[in-house]
Amino acid sequence: MIERWSRDQVLALAPDAASRSAAQKVAAPGKWSACGTTGTVVYGECEGSGAKPYLACVDLTEPAYRCSCPSRKFPCKHALGLLLMWAAGGVSVEQGAPQWVTEWVEARAERAAKEAAKIEAVRAKRAAEASSGEGDGAGRAEVSSGEGGGGVSGAGRSGGSSRMGAESVRHGRVAAGLSELERWLDDQVRQGLAGAAEHEWEGLAKRLIDAQAPGVAGVVSRLVRVRAEDDWPGRLLEEYALIHLLAVAYRRRAELPGALAETVLSRVGFPVAKEEVLAGPAVRDQWDVLGRRDEEQDRLTSRRVWLRGRRSGRAALVLSFAPQGQPLDASLVTGTTIEADLTFYPGAAPLRALVAARHDRGTDDAVRYGSGAGGFVGGTPPGVSPEEALDEVAGVLGEDPWTESWPLVLAGVVPGRDSIGGLPLHRAARDPWRLIAVSGGRPVTVAVEWTPRGLRPLTTWDDEGTAVIL
Amino acid sequence: MTGWEELASTALVGTDRRPYQGDLLDAAAVEVARRRAGRKAGAVGQQAPHAAGPQAPDAAGPQEQAPHAAGPLAPDAAGPQEQAPHAAEPQAPDAAGQREQATGAAGRREQAAGAVGGRDGSSEASPEAQAAPVEERVAVGRRAAERLVRIMGGEHERLLPEWLAAAAATGRRVPPYVLPELLEKGRRDRSIRVHLGVLAGQRGRWLAGLNPAWDYLLEEPTGETWELGGAADRRAHLRTLRTADPAQARRLLESTWERETPDDRAEFVEVLADGLSMDDEPFLESALDDRRREVRQAAANLLTRLPGSRMSQRMAERARACVTISRKVIAVEAPRDCDKAMERDGIRPKPPRGIGERAWWLQQILARAPLSIWGHPPAALLKMKIPDWDAEVKAAWVRAAVLQKDPEWARAMFGWDPIADLLESLPADEQQKLAADFVKKHDLDSQLIMVLGGVSSHWREGLATAVLRKIVKVATRQPWNLGELVKLAGERIDPALFPLALSYSPVESVQQVAALLRFRADMYKELHP
Repeated sequence: MIERWSRDQVLALAPDAASRSAAQKVAAPGKWSACGTTGTVVYGECEGSGAKPYLACVDLTEPAYRCSCPSRKFPCKHALGLLLMWAAGGVSVEQGAPQWVTEWVEARAERAAKEAAKIEAVRAKRAAEASSGEGDGAGRAEVSSGEGGGGVSGAGRSGGSSRMGAESVRHGRVAAGLSELERWLDDQVRQGLAGAAEHEWEGLAKRLIDAQAPGVAGVVSRLVRVRAEDDWPGRLLEEYALIHLLAVAYRRRAELPGALAETVLSRVGFPVAKEEVLAGPAVRDQWDVLGRRDEEQDRLTSRRVWLRGRRSGRAALVLSFAPQGQPLDASLVTGTTIEADLTFYPGAAPLRALVAARHDRGTDDAVRYGSGAGGFVGGTPPGVSPEEALDEVAGVLGEDPWTESWPLVLAGVVPGRDSIGGLPLHRAARDPWRLIAVSGGRPVTVAVEWTPRGLRPLTTWDDEGTAVIL
Repeated sequence: MTGWEELASTALVGTDRRPYQGDLLDAAAVEVARRRAGRKAGAVGQQAPHAAGPQAPDAAGPQEQAPHAAGPLAPDAAGPQEQAPHAAEPQAPDAAGQREQATGAAGRREQAAGAVGGRDGSSEASPEAQAAPVEERVAVGRRAAERLVRIMGGEHERLLPEWLAAAAATGRRVPPYVLPELLEKGRRDRSIRVHLGVLAGQRGRWLAGLNPAWDYLLEEPTGETWELGGAADRRAHLRTLRTADPAQARRLLESTWERETPDDRAEFVEVLADGLSMDDEPFLESALDDRRREVRQAAANLLTRLPGSRMSQRMAERARACVTISRKVIAVEAPRDCDKAMERDGIRPKPPRGIGERAWWLQQILARAPLSIWGHPPAALLKMKIPDWDAEVKAAWVRAAVLQKDPEWARAMFGWDPIADLLESLPADEQQKLAADFVKKHDLDSQLIMVLGGVSSHWREGLATAVLRKIVKVATRQPWNLGELVKLAGERIDPALFPLALSYSPVESVQQVAALLRFRADMYKELHP
């Protein structure tokens, strides 16, 4: 049995504003000829314009959606409307679900099993490789076979990664691109940032793309925004220094500890295959979903969802992308706690992760959601003091100085108009009135995104332990 | 100048012109990691550098490197540019690339310093020193609050005043998280402010004290007393007292009258409408000499409702001078001028555009003259012939019925000119009956909407069925015209009648009404668990 979500939580799943308002119109009891919930699945038949009603169904544990309507938006207004009614207590609990619902649930379970088997296979393969390649120690200098643009799926990382191969064609291109970049940066500093060559950045970024260093190219192309800031000379120097650091670190990656070298490669733009990550060691925990932020860039929308594990204390970021107008992954609901296995992308301060498996599906070891009155999980997550949080961030930056974002849960902090517990807020997050209102000048627990430019509040929990999205 | 500022200004000019010892980008990278690691956790451009350093010598963190970084010579405070990067170098035991000072080592080393900055920041920038007072009222339930959020978010937005009124009537408050949005609504919509005083609770007032955009809230009644409270509290106090003891309320008002501001005086006079009697006449008569026109107008309006008042008598005389009733004819001669005495009694000399002076004066005199001077029932008068000024006289009667709240006249004049204002003078039952009759006979047009708009909630079965029938009828012929009627019906029909609407007709517009009634029924249920 899953505790009902709040209306905010439901609406946050909508792909856009139009869907939100459409969903509210659909969320009227009169439009649904039959609806019910089994506790983990909500379903209903919604009258549309045609003769046949649309069959909509939501598996709350993911959540996952299905609807027979032709909408290309996802979740569609019917699924959302259904959830809104459920959130408002307008859907009653039924003993058995109709056949079309159970069929869907079973099909999904089947698919999940197949997926798991696939990952298991990769894992097994890796284990086999690891045992066979045990002899060659570092294995880092191993010459890789054909290393293409997206190709990292070949050899496993731990057992002589092609990512590390110094001789590959790609590394040659990247090395050339980055050494040009190093020279360019030196020139900039010699000639002075006052003549900051904005027009050059675009060309530079393009050349870095050609050099197959898309990560660095991205940083360079964002410099235009930095130039627009009030304190741009200092900011630009910061960015130049970090780019410089990355280029130097890449050049000397053989001298770096393995994890740090992985970080450098990721930052430069060497991708890691999803299967690789999924096959890595899993961290099982109760993960509090702290909040999320969507960002549009180059006609691509990215969604960041931040989590923290209750037992492990680990921070995680689940990143997903979708072309503009296409649905984003909506399976992680802010304010809920999930029991899941996460696997992390390699790096010195690993943050980005994938949900490898969820264990909160069946009713047997169900995890309670939302305000969790009485449940062993739910409600306000554990937090740390600002001092401890800063220690953590400093530790993270010590491992990965390019870190731009880190989720924290601050406990016992008093939010103000431009700071929380004494830590400054991001300029765009000033005057967090909802947070201030919930706190009333008294200490609260608040989940935030740490950024070098200040904190961005994500979620807080009120007196009743209800998650309030900020 | 701090190490970082030194670096930045050097970079800005360029090392060609201002030579730098060592690699500037290397040094900058170390500083960036250091700054990000806490000292200035995002406080770019703020005075954080001052916060760090000497005054926090005891802030050494758990790391072994801490003493160097956090001691009295915190790098930013240290001054000489070369100090920071160099100081970093020797003590980077676990740094991978030691010569590449930045990677790995720099950030870690600075964490203690970062914490120092954070701590100092917290004590200096201590945000809102005063916590909000403890609430005296209980908050509405979670479901109720969620519904408020839905309404504010645009779902049946027009129900906001109803939700607020119903919630305020329960004496409860809203949970804090909805306050910013609610106060923002109140900023733009004055009409809902009166409910916010109670609903916003202590937390709301505390917030209003922090954000000038919301400080209107501090003007709304909270339950404070006459002597101490703001204008709204005093008005509320006076109103309560007036209900309990009209004479006492008037005496209280008289006792401070001279000291009240003109705005307050106008508002206070209106409070006397409740429990109005001839005992109030002397006070109101004196208020006709007030400096403020709004005060005089309010007093005149009240005196109009007292047929025995001196003002009513004066008005009766003026009316008699204009009007002569013979058997079946009402002869009218409009006044020729407006003297000071007339002005004192609330007659406004300057007509609005489109009305002649004499017509304007005539209307005002007749509207304020006691209806008893006519000597005939209104129905009989309406049958008489009025050769001159016919429209003006009848408009004046409508106005008189509204001003003097006379049910008999209101009923009669509604037959002649069905305007919503007239309904207000009638008891609720009769309002609904009149409106229902009107709906039956009248086509759907803006006048029908206006009349219905004057019938207060909750409409009972008679009016409800009349309106639903009208909706069904119009739905086939001009469904595009139904929008407002459907909305009004959903908002005003007694929500308990939603099963009636649901089963009344499958027509979509009726079902819309039913859905809205259901929404309101649920809303009340949540507020009265």
